[in-house]
Amino acid sequence: METILLSFEALANPAIFVAAMMGVTWGILGGAMPGISPSITMALLLPFTYAMEPTSAIVLLASTYVGAEYGGSIPAILIRTPGTNAAAATVIDGYEMNRQGKAGLALGISLYSGVLGSLFGLTMLVLLSKPLASVALAFTPPAYFALGILGLSVIATLSGDNLFKGLVAALLGLMIATIGTDPVTGGNRFTFGSSDLLSGIKPVMIMVGLFAMSELLMQAADRSPSKQVKSSPRITFPDLKLAKRLLKPQAIGASIGTFEGVMPGAGGTIASFMSYNEARRWSRHKDEFGKGSPEGIAAPETANNAVAETALVPLLSFGIPGSNSTAILLGGFLIHGIVPGPMLFQRSGEVVYGLYGGLLVAAISLLFIGMLMLPVCIWLVNRPRPYLSAFIFALIMSGIFSINNSLFDLSIMMAAGVVGFFMRMLKFPFLPAVLGLVLGYLVESNFRRSLVLSGDDYSIFLSDKVSLGLLVLAAVFILGSIGKRLLDFLRKPSLSGTKGDMA
Amino acid sequence: MIINRDMVGGISAVLIGILYLYFATQIRASALDDSFGPGGMPRAYGILMVLLGLIITVGGLIKAIREKSSTSTRKEWAGQGNRVLWAAGLLAIGVVYLLIVPVAGYAIAIGLLLAATGIYQGSGLTWKIGLVALGGAAALWAIFVLLLGVSMPPGVFHLF
Repeated sequence: METILLSFEALANPAIFVAAMMGVTWGILGGAMPGISPSITMALLLPFTYAMEPTSAIVLLASTYVGAEYGGSIPAILIRTPGTNAAAATVIDGYEMNRQGKAGLALGISLYSGVLGSLFGLTMLVLLSKPLASVALAFTPPAYFALGILGLSVIATLSGDNLFKGLVAALLGLMIATIGTDPVTGGNRFTFGSSDLLSGIKPVMIMVGLFAMSELLMQAADRSPSKQVKSSPRITFPDLKLAKRLLKPQAIGASIGTFEGVMPGAGGTIASFMSYNEARRWSRHKDEFGKGSPEGIAAPETANNAVAETALVPLLSFGIPGSNSTAILLGGFLIHGIVPGPMLFQRSGEVVYGLYGGLLVAAISLLFIGMLMLPVCIWLVNRPRPYLSAFIFALIMSGIFSINNSLFDLSIMMAAGVVGFFMRMLKFPFLPAVLGLVLGYLVESNFRRSLVLSGDDYSIFLSDKVSLGLLVLAAVFILGSIGKRLLDFLRKPSLSGTKGDMA
Repeated sequence: MIINRDMVGGISAVLIGILYLYFATQIRASALDDSFGPGGMPRAYGILMVLLGLIITVGGLIKAIREKSSTSTRKEWAGQGNRVLWAAGLLAIGVVYLLIVPVAGYAIAIGLLLAATGIYQGSGLTWKIGLVALGGAAALWAIFVLLLGVSMPPGVFHLF
């Protein structure tokens, strides 16, 4: 209670309000640019924070993180391009709703769910920082490996009609994740002497290629004059009935997002995919998933926004930055001579309470700033198709170049687009590939580290309680999905092929 | 019998798996290697890819034998060649952009990319596409270069 009162007291400082609102605005802009990650968006602000008062500086950076995590959903819904890795799950139903002329509602749901996710994550951060911090410490390499396997267990659900094609797509993602420097020995793998490949291939390049570039290629391939569906340039929030329906996926997203956020390295991508999967599993409208389901937007958006808040738990409690974005935030702390860790509350309590207050302002202002910015975005995507395609092509070429200032990255993205084009032609789903790509490094590095730690004793995965629990959960998910597929096949084989577009 | 998409997809997966497996076996061993080694996981992925590819191919083969007389199977590849060619055209615009951007610079090259893509996608050679190219290039330059501070290729502009 004292923490809450002190956080509200901090709001008496108008500089915190200004920093939170500016951070959210900048974050939404950065997150909405394909290729500009939340960490880059935050890093661009670092030089400005030198001259700022410490609390405002930290609030500015943290609010940028909140805004950027939300901003990634805007291009995901409007142009099938996830602005951030975590927004990849939002593409599935968000873009489908856009194609049905419901972009305003899709953006309204993502905004409303993002705000709820942020508020829930903030509440967890304020109230449960200490107990949640102990969860983070319980994670050892075997547990991280098991977490990766749990994430990969979602593949069975994301594979669409043909599980084998989904597995091939996932393997393709896992294979791409092996390119670069070996996580244990530091040797080179599949680099073919190219220095550009030494640091591996960033998931966002492949995602933008698979989703956006392949969509442009499909549009170029389809020369028939199809009617472009236009959306009203107004943000529509769900009515009471829909809001009630969204409560369950939002609760799922908030819970998974909180859990994933406190674990260093887990990140919003696993949280959003797992939330999508669970929301679908527990939904009464399973058939709508993949065809423009509002629940398919609500769950991942709540999750990745909850992650943006709870990811601060290991940072504030132990000084452990679990992601690039929280590493930038750590940099912001260090610039002002503040060292996050167990003594943070005693030494710089006012900064932490100011941060909590600022994050509350950021979560609420996300709603209003989003409402102001989104109609402009919808207006842009309502332009005639040739102009829109040209703008999207130019935007992704600019965004991907800006990751490493490298033309090589653009060729990787375009190659991924060609692969995506043929995957769509041959009816292979994309999402398992994205999941494999994002989780490949986590799975392999922690599997091998565990074996090094245990002296090649594979029982370490079963003797570690967290690992065992997660592996059992993954096994339940996988067997459940396969069992359901078998049942569906035996009951109504004629209905196969009616599932939504999982590409 | 008509070769269907599953067969093409399955055979592609097998070929990718074999190629990947070949390079996985070429990964050098080092004194620092753990027991699993840097090539352990790639070899497992390669083998799985080949096996899954074979399963999909066999599934496609069975499907092709069952549906050999159906019209949908015969129409499976109708018009696909033209579609690939049209898509390749757009890809070519992207490749040309990659070639000219170091020389012409970002601002000019992105304007040309906008114009070429718009015309290719059916806008026609009108003043509007010129305006979109100019305005779009200016807006993207302002966002990425001015606002975000990205160091885009200056091309000919570095001379000034």
